[in-house]
Amino acid sequence: MEILELNNISKSFGAIKALDNVSLSLRSGEVLGLMGDNGAGKSTLIKIIAGNFKQSSGTINFENQKVEFSKPMEARDKGIEVVYQDLALCDNLTAASNIFLTREIKRNFGLIKIINFSEMFKRAKDIFKDLKSETLPDEEVKMMSGGQRQAVAIGRTKLSKAKVVLLDEPTAAISVRQVAEVLELIKQLKNQGIAVVIISHRMPDVFAVSDRIAVLRRGQLVANKLAKESSPEEVTALITGAIEKA
Amino acid sequence: MTEQTLEKNKKKIKISNLHEIGLLIALILVLLLFSFTTENFFTQRNFTSILRSASYVGLIAFPMTFVLITREIDISVGPSVAWSGLFFVILIKWYDFSYFSSAAIVILWGILLGYFIGIARTKLFIPTFITTLALWSALRGYSLFVTEGRPIAISNKEFRYLFGGDILGLPTVTWIMLGAFLVFWFASKYTVTGTNFYAVGGNPKAARNIGINVDRVKILALIGTSLFAAIVGILFVARVSSGNANLADGMEFDVIAAVVVGGTALGGAVGTMTGTLLGCVFIAMISNGLIHWGIDPDLNKVVKGIIIFLAVVINSNVTFKSNSGGPKED
Repeated sequence: MEILELNNISKSFGAIKALDNVSLSLRSGEVLGLMGDNGAGKSTLIKIIAGNFKQSSGTINFENQKVEFSKPMEARDKGIEVVYQDLALCDNLTAASNIFLTREIKRNFGLIKIINFSEMFKRAKDIFKDLKSETLPDEEVKMMSGGQRQAVAIGRTKLSKAKVVLLDEPTAAISVRQVAEVLELIKQLKNQGIAVVIISHRMPDVFAVSDRIAVLRRGQLVANKLAKESSPEEVTALITGAIEKA
Repeated sequence: MTEQTLEKNKKKIKISNLHEIGLLIALILVLLLFSFTTENFFTQRNFTSILRSASYVGLIAFPMTFVLITREIDISVGPSVAWSGLFFVILIKWYDFSYFSSAAIVILWGILLGYFIGIARTKLFIPTFITTLALWSALRGYSLFVTEGRPIAISNKEFRYLFGGDILGLPTVTWIMLGAFLVFWFASKYTVTGTNFYAVGGNPKAARNIGINVDRVKILALIGTSLFAAIVGILFVARVSSGNANLADGMEFDVIAAVVVGGTALGGAVGTMTGTLLGCVFIAMISNGLIHWGIDPDLNKVVKGIIIFLAVVINSNVTFKSNSGGPKED
């Protein structure tokens, strides 16, 4: 089932055309690797899907219905979540507190609302178990490895029962062993029927998990093909423009 | 892996309490030092006196802990206390307001002042250090101008006994402070509002991105210090039976020193109410003990300056290094 369809999306910032007539679709349980050089339009595209920007022209269908998001909250309510590289976690809070931030489970004592930590720890533990991650709910995030931090960030999307998860550079700046951990998390999301878009510069990581690869160059979609029918060499050539289109 | 993480976890719990335990030990050492070197330090009367001054400082130090945690600062609290007390007395003496309505007006003033500092920070992007520095000068200056530097006396025995005296052997202000401590301690640990202070201090961008109203959280923290400065102003009047423009001189220093000695980081994100409570007692005990040693009050300030410097050194080098340092690579 096509969960997300982008039809002829264009976006201009003044005279600059950041996206030019991009059409792309995404199925549940599919991992799409979105690639392109800096300034190719990846971030703009993600921000349009997430409701940060509004497209200049074109339409978005989500679950076969036309949608228009004016702010990120609206996209989130529908089930589209973005995990940003640096903007996701508060280091001084526990994993569970981070997952439940703004959605804390509370107990009412008259007028006073108390955070129900034991319930939050329990639910967070289940989420980490689902993700097959060894992250401890009551541990502070600053004590954690890069892989565990990604598990916490992705854990937030599990809580909201997201149907589409957009990951912005999930494997940048972490060690090789942790990359494996993060890629495993992505596979777990896929197995649970969630559509994943991964934006990354790291070719091997993208090829390790993606079903399909889409390449943007100067705002135009120059490739959208199955990962097994492509190769890192071809994608590199597409990004740089050595190959015009594939 | 799990065992390893558990082990790591145990260590973390120890480290996060390390500062409070260390401070408690320092407190006991200082207590012993003054007790054995002076005659009148280890007396019930003197302890009551220490508790009293720790309580006035504490009432403002608890909200100040939240302010520092959200990466802001409020240095206007000393003059704010003096002006609030004076305003309270002026309303009663010059404008014939009742004690109750005067107190209500002064408390409202405190809330509005904090709101103003918060709005200046979040909407006009003026650092709180600058706004409160301006207020620090303006409030003290205006207080001196209005009174021509002379205290304005009031006489009301009930008011003095009720809010300036003792209840069950402890100063009234200490009971109020302990009540405030429980509220702030509870808020910091078990409420969404408390969690939001830590979240905003930990990563403001993430907090905003996740959907926390960062501006509102900061404004709320800043209302806290101004509100409690107003309350302490009224309680000071009850103690000394007058409004005085020179009251609470240097109090902002004692408050911030107590919070920092208590383990709150000036850079935000880290801090506990228990630590702040211990910090207040520590600062009050040192000030008191130095007086018993017969050290000049001006030199007393020098010693306090050294203590706050050492506290920050310990804070940022020992506690920070073992307890923080961002994401860890394994």
